[in-house]
Amino acid sequence: MSDDCTGPVSLWDYDKMEGRRRGRRTDCMSRGALCWGWTLVILLLSMETRAVYALDMWWQLGVQGFETWKNPQMFMLGAHPICTQLKGLSGGQVRFCQLYHDHMPSIGRGAKMGIGECQWQFRLRRWNCSTVADSSVFGPVIKIASREAAFTHAISAAGVVHAVSRSCREGDLNSCGCSRARRPRDLHRDWIWGGCGDNIEYGYQFGRAFVDVRERERNHPRNSRPLARMLMNLHNNEAGRKAVYNYAKVECKCHGVSGSCALKTCWQQLPSFREVGDRLRDRYDGATEIKFNSRGLKLVRKNKRYNKPSKEDLIYLDRSPNYCLANGETGSLGTVGRMCNRHSAGMDGCNLMCCGRGYNTFKRKLVERCHCKFHWCCFVKCKTCERIVDVHTCK
Amino acid sequence: MAGVVLETLSNRKLLILSVSLVLILAVFFLIGGLVAPAPNSVIPSTTVKCVDADNIWQKGEMKPFLPRGKGKCDSIDHFSDPRVAREGIDANEIVFSQWMPLPKDGKQLDMSRWFQNMVSVIELDLTYNSQNKYPEDRDAHMVLETRVFYRNKEDDVKDWKLLAASTEHRTLQCSIENDNRQDGKRYQCDLLPFFELGTVFYDFYLINIRLPIDKRTDINIIGQLDDLAVVVIFQNGGFTKVWFSIKTVLFPAVVAVLLWFWQRVLTEGRATNLTERTLFSLGIILSIMNCPIEWLTLVVSMPFMTLLNDIRDGAFYAMLFSFWLIFVGEHMMDQVERNQLKAYWKQLTVVILASAACFIFDMCERGVQLTNPFFSIWSSEVGAIAALGFIIVAGISACLYFVFLCYLVFRVFRNISSKRTSLMQMSSVRRKYYSGLIYRFKFLMLVTLLCAALTVISFIIGQVSEGQWKWGDEDLSLEYTSAFLTGTYGMWNVYVISLLCLYAPSHKKYAADTVDETDTNSREEEVQLTQMASESSNIASFISKQAAD
Repeated sequence: MSDDCTGPVSLWDYDKMEGRRRGRRTDCMSRGALCWGWTLVILLLSMETRAVYALDMWWQLGVQGFETWKNPQMFMLGAHPICTQLKGLSGGQVRFCQLYHDHMPSIGRGAKMGIGECQWQFRLRRWNCSTVADSSVFGPVIKIASREAAFTHAISAAGVVHAVSRSCREGDLNSCGCSRARRPRDLHRDWIWGGCGDNIEYGYQFGRAFVDVRERERNHPRNSRPLARMLMNLHNNEAGRKAVYNYAKVECKCHGVSGSCALKTCWQQLPSFREVGDRLRDRYDGATEIKFNSRGLKLVRKNKRYNKPSKEDLIYLDRSPNYCLANGETGSLGTVGRMCNRHSAGMDGCNLMCCGRGYNTFKRKLVERCHCKFHWCCFVKCKTCERIVDVHTCK
Repeated sequence: MAGVVLETLSNRKLLILSVSLVLILAVFFLIGGLVAPAPNSVIPSTTVKCVDADNIWQKGEMKPFLPRGKGKCDSIDHFSDPRVAREGIDANEIVFSQWMPLPKDGKQLDMSRWFQNMVSVIELDLTYNSQNKYPEDRDAHMVLETRVFYRNKEDDVKDWKLLAASTEHRTLQCSIENDNRQDGKRYQCDLLPFFELGTVFYDFYLINIRLPIDKRTDINIIGQLDDLAVVVIFQNGGFTKVWFSIKTVLFPAVVAVLLWFWQRVLTEGRATNLTERTLFSLGIILSIMNCPIEWLTLVVSMPFMTLLNDIRDGAFYAMLFSFWLIFVGEHMMDQVERNQLKAYWKQLTVVILASAACFIFDMCERGVQLTNPFFSIWSSEVGAIAALGFIIVAGISACLYFVFLCYLVFRVFRNISSKRTSLMQMSSVRRKYYSGLIYRFKFLMLVTLLCAALTVISFIIGQVSEGQWKWGDEDLSLEYTSAFLTGTYGMWNVYVISLLCLYAPSHKKYAADTVDETDTNSREEEVQLTQMASESSNIASFISKQAAD
């Protein structure tokens, strides 16, 4: 179990980020409180060895109706039983739930965002990120260490960073970090001295601690398959988090004498989750196949001709199965009955989507909302229109 | 004329003085860089979407909508919440709410009076929706109904009092790149100015915003809004403490030097000359700027403090600019009699014009904000034009000023070089007098240029690094912006102090033994020179005499 704030590798990591992003000041001394807190938690959690079923994922939280989570009374009555009742959490994550139960709705929201974005990004592909009604959420597909598994890990980790950061910004969470600012040692009220920390950084740190804990719960022998999968998941989770953390936009405001730009204050803005999804889909398309190195401890790229994967790239171990036909073993649902676009030459084109099996065409009466009166939000008054469209579905 | 301290000072003493002033200057920079935190902090927050199902707001009731805690409003997570369609929630029923500051580290933080001022802007998350696009062909006209409430820690949790309420008009400008025109992508929108408070007197601030819609008008047609963020910027308490300390130390120091200077001038027993009077005024204005009346903000609510500080800063710079003009003019070494303000009316008009324009602009913006903190001169078309007009007038005047100043400096240097050639033929007293004049002038030019260059350079570095600057390792990190602010503040203080010290009249007279006894005119000249400060009539007679020779 390594603490990511003190390890040399991750320090380098932070410095790199530092260089890229303004408005960030590394201060491991003060951030230490946060990091060490979580390290302790992780250490405590790792003592407890509980069998983790590979398919039992925390993404469940995104599928369970998390509206009930919004009820604060539920937590006050007793957080502990609820955390153990939750499906999909590993032992370490249950402990996290007990310590930071106010964060759980955000995690649920993050998982839900991840699933939704995955389905949007892959709506026109053979594998369309469909969920199944079991605790693995995405079905047996993610048992294979494929690109798809890499993407699902990355997007859900990104969802947690996004959702937790957002909740911090809403003032929804109590414990978002505040100890970042530098101050004289004997000063207690650091908030008054130098303001408060960065919410995106908090989301990143918390997401890292919560999501990665399940991977780190068990030790695996070198060169073993579970170790490879663990390293792959850790890498892809990190890539997902970085897709949010490294692409926060910087906004600035001038407020000097008479509104001049002698004083300028900058802050970070979360990227929209669609941008995060787009970025990760590009990484999915350019994912790198990897294997163990000779010592069986690290993962290296399989084909030396390709570039070395960076921290932000996705990696996978196994080739994806054929998603053309339904296969209970791989979890592929097949493309039979999927709609396709007759005029498209892309993945959603009938030729590719139906894997050359051909397609059926029939007419369907489409009842749509139309002539809507939109405002900047909310309830929309529309008429209903009907039109007949040609629908093509794969054989 | 007896020389000033600068001329009679021995090189060793001058060196010691310069070194100690430079050291003091370094201390100011280091205080800002090492002790003070960054000058400002920012709280970016996303507002909570409260639902005003009973239309309480529209009925005109001033009820606060709380985003969290006891008495939290009925809120929705996002606008695609199924509740919106189920209950038919209308845009008119949405109230964006946030309670400042946010909770951190397990407790609700509170604002401090040390924060001094608070600036707030609104950030809109507009999402591209192919059915409900942002009207890119024109600027969107927004109407914000805003209310800010306040409460103190010891007050009852429901005891929110109204601080300000207003209906504000803003123009929103958003754009999106062509490749991003897909559902779910975000528009790039300009920040909307929200409010500015000249004092942070209360513990908690509650912000409520409503964006009303009306079928008959085109207000708030902005496409699809996903989130409304309120960003609050305030001065850090740590920085305020350091700032107050600097002012508290500098104020008596400058006043003491100023009194010494004036007493020196008066003991001369002659009429004061214009340079001395200008220098004295500069010292007074600096003392007014230094005067740490800000301490009162910790006890009394003083919302006009920001405005007052702007005015004090402006007055100091106007005075400094006038001083440079007059000083250069008084060292012109030509045959024109000056020594009176009206000799400089053309140049001074420019300075006054520039500062008046800045003053009016400031009064229009910050002055009005005293009654309505949401006011922004830029939000109305007429206001924006007027504001731009004032800024242009100030800019042109500033340019004109620098042209004037450069021209004067150029003329002085031309006169210096012509005097140089004739210096050898002059009587020793006259030579001393002129070389003293030249030395004084060159010294001031050097120091002024140095100070101005330091200000400009550090300002540019600050802009380039955008307030974030890191030096060396973790333990020794320098707050660059704070160092810039305290450094320049200290520098102009040190500048004025050293001028007051060095340009005070000297007690020492020219040593008589160096006077060339063979020159028959020297005695008479000396008498005349000491009588008048600018003695240009003497120079005129001298020149005519030389011509006659």
